[in-house]
Amino acid sequence: MSGRSSLQIPSSTSSSSIPAHLTPLAALTDPPIRHVDSAMMDYFLIEVVNTLRESSKVALNREREREKEMVEAGLIPPLALPAKDNKDGTISARDSTGSLASTKGGKTAAAGPIDEEEEALKLRLEAIGMHVGSNFSERLCRDRALFTETLDAIKFICKDIWVACWDKQVDNLRTNHRGVYVLQDNSFKTISRLSSWQGRPDAVRKAKVYVSMPAGIIKGALSRLGYNATVSPEVTTLPQCTFQVKLPKGS
Amino acid sequence: MAPNLRLNAVAFISPQNHPILIRTFSKPDETAIKYHYIAHTSLDVIEERVSTKSSDCYLGLLYSMEDVAIYGYITPLKVKIVIALALSDSVVRDMEINMIFKALHMAYYSAISNPFLTLEESSGHDSSRSLLAGSPKWKNLRSRIDEIARIVGNSSGASTGG
Repeated sequence: MSGRSSLQIPSSTSSSSIPAHLTPLAALTDPPIRHVDSAMMDYFLIEVVNTLRESSKVALNREREREKEMVEAGLIPPLALPAKDNKDGTISARDSTGSLASTKGGKTAAAGPIDEEEEALKLRLEAIGMHVGSNFSERLCRDRALFTETLDAIKFICKDIWVACWDKQVDNLRTNHRGVYVLQDNSFKTISRLSSWQGRPDAVRKAKVYVSMPAGIIKGALSRLGYNATVSPEVTTLPQCTFQVKLPKGS
Repeated sequence: MAPNLRLNAVAFISPQNHPILIRTFSKPDETAIKYHYIAHTSLDVIEERVSTKSSDCYLGLLYSMEDVAIYGYITPLKVKIVIALALSDSVVRDMEINMIFKALHMAYYSAISNPFLTLEESSGHDSSRSLLAGSPKWKNLRSRIDEIARIVGNSSGASTGG
């Protein structure tokens, strides 16, 4: 493994002509840069996905228990979901193996709840990414001028955020000039080292979960800039990844 | 020459034009509500300046009232910072005011990065954030701003001239 690169928060060049009486202020204006090891972000993401998977399972189970109780108490009419009967039977099996992929092949009827869990997991990852993205973009925006137009904001994301988080710039940016932008990265750092012993298609499926946090980072940064966009990540072949950004009409 | 900057008040305004924090350092007998009014009126001036001469964060002197001069700054994320300086005869340099603004921006950023701050209203309503500005959670931001004001205030006392 090559030497670690660090995730730098850029700082402005210090001006040399600060009047002496204001030097304490200068210390506050330009605090020392904090570096984050980029390998740490990879490790963190791996652990986060595992932890959130367990926690979203617990949250969903709790919800289903409550629903079941309410149905039994007669408060709400029984929901006519065919998958509901399978759920209680397969929950114990899934908990013991702890791996969604191995149970996925056999039971198509149980595909409903598994997707629900993946969705919940992706939502949590995206929410975390949004927090990180919005706050980080505040820091990155410090020394630049105001954004002139939407394309400017997207370019800021492509360059500054990607360099800060993933050490490179976006490889390809396409737009249809009507509010849809496609950002393509040919070797996305987060999933570049991902592989699965079950083969390529399974690795692609797992990668979809991991890219929801970077999608959240982009979405959070855009929302701070004032654009409420929807970001949808797509992984077709590792390690290539595309993000489709849809901006609402009128921006 | 000993600079005589006295920071009277600082106001942060959100991108949706809601006040986040208005903090005054003036003498206790003056009514602080004057600075709420000042922050409100500076919004119009900022709008005007941003629409014509954009691409610069530091907006300079917005206007001056009876005994205060109002300076404005807008971040690329549309958060507006307004400071009121007591009028004085000494030369006020743009660079110093710019530094004050940058320090305030850093203070805001450090306080905002706390994810627990906006956890309750994660549904995304920015208006409720302004109500939290008086609560103990925002104490961090307030103490940072106090620090900046102290430095600015001390600077005029510390240098002995020349």
